[in-house]
Amino acid sequence: MKRGTPEVEDNTILIRRTLRSGQKVYYDGHVVILGDVNPGAEVVATGNVIVMGTVRGVVHAGAGGNEKAMVLAFRLEPIQLRIANHITRSPDGPLQKPTGPEVARIKNGVVTIEAYSP
Amino acid sequence: MGEVIVVTSGKGGVGKTTTTANLGAGLALMGRRVALVDADIGLRNLDVVLGLENRIVYDITDVTGGHCRLRQALIKDKRFEGLFLLPAAQTKDKTAVSPEQMKALCAELKEEFDFVIIDCPAGIEQGFKNAIAGAEKAIVVTTPEVAAVRDADRVIGLLEAAELRDPKLIINRIRPRMVRAGDMMSIEDIVDILAVDLLGVIPEDEMVVISTNRGEPIVQDEHSRSGQAYRNIARRILGEQVPLMNLDEGGFLARLWRRMIRG
Ligand SMILES: Nc1ncnc2c1ncn2[C@@H]1O[C@H](COP(=O)(O)OP(=O)(O)O)[C@@H](O)[C@H]1O
Ligand SMILES: [Mg+2]
Repeated sequence: MKRGTPEVEDNTILIRRTLRSGQKVYYDGHVVILGDVNPGAEVVATGNVIVMGTVRGVVHAGAGGNEKAMVLAFRLEPIQLRIANHITRSPDGPLQKPTGPEVARIKNGVVTIEAYSP
Repeated sequence: MGEVIVVTSGKGGVGKTTTTANLGAGLALMGRRVALVDADIGLRNLDVVLGLENRIVYDITDVTGGHCRLRQALIKDKRFEGLFLLPAAQTKDKTAVSPEQMKALCAELKEEFDFVIIDCPAGIEQGFKNAIAGAEKAIVVTTPEVAAVRDADRVIGLLEAAELRDPKLIINRIRPRMVRAGDMMSIEDIVDILAVDLLGVIPEDEMVVISTNRGEPIVQDEHSRSGQAYRNIARRILGEQVPLMNLDEGGFLARLWRRMIRG
């Protein structure tokens, strides 16, 4: 696994529930969620965001400019995904459902989503 | 000592009032004593759905304001033995009742009734907070629409924050044919997002509209599918294991049901 910036390395918050519509988490560090991020929920972290569930809402990793930050989820179907200052949104048509864990990170200046293999 | 259940949704027009009336009537048909509380103050309509509008003398604000006793304001249903209604005020606004007053009211009602069911207004503002203040359990109603499910999710989050844990879900107005064609969210999609126990599914049924306009709850109609669905939900509330009705959706309903009784 790629490493986040050293200054946030030990700074991780664990959220043991699903974030529902209207609920937001802002954290200066990494965020690990044991649940889903539902449509209408939002997670903003200066470090990585790891979701042991489905992301259907908005997730922003590397808020503040960390281009090495990433978003990892069991199912990645976000409405919008941001890493550092890069923004991607879900395609407007019907989307292909992912079948396994995926990781989003910046590659060659664009947010790239790939199957996650440890 | 009875239990106090609030019927809520976030979005308006999804079937809270219809559900409150039919579950109240259904539980009364099964021999329980039930008080329905219309907490949609300013937009009173539970009395109309139950065909009891012409019997209203006092309303909920007369009780909380000390103008009459609770017993005087409760209207006895004309058909269902054991069913009573505490009507909302038509003219006041949502601040006419406070959360503390609601709590006291619910505490008094559950001394005398097996079930106290509260019809919640739409939204997540003061009217919602009042309606849930005295409740111990919650039923969340949604329709298979993206916006309704989103609002249901929001409301479940607020209920959890208010310590009303494990709300139960009712999906209303499902149209199996549209679901099959991929034009409507399926039961499975909705339960997947909301991740709460499914209490029941009511099909889209024009008989609901007709019976509502007549002031006759559909739950007493032996031949209608929506009436059957409401009777099934009433039995589940009483602790019976009743499988989901077959809405022509093949195998996954049965699968979902297995998940329900496990979870
Ligand atoms: N299963 C159903 N099939 C058809 N119409 C329904 C169904 N459930 C509710 N309705 C209709 O939808 C409208 C809104 O229902 P209502 O119970 O008043 O919603 P709410 O209290 O949530 O605002 C009413 O006209 C009602 O008759
Ligand atoms: Mg209503």
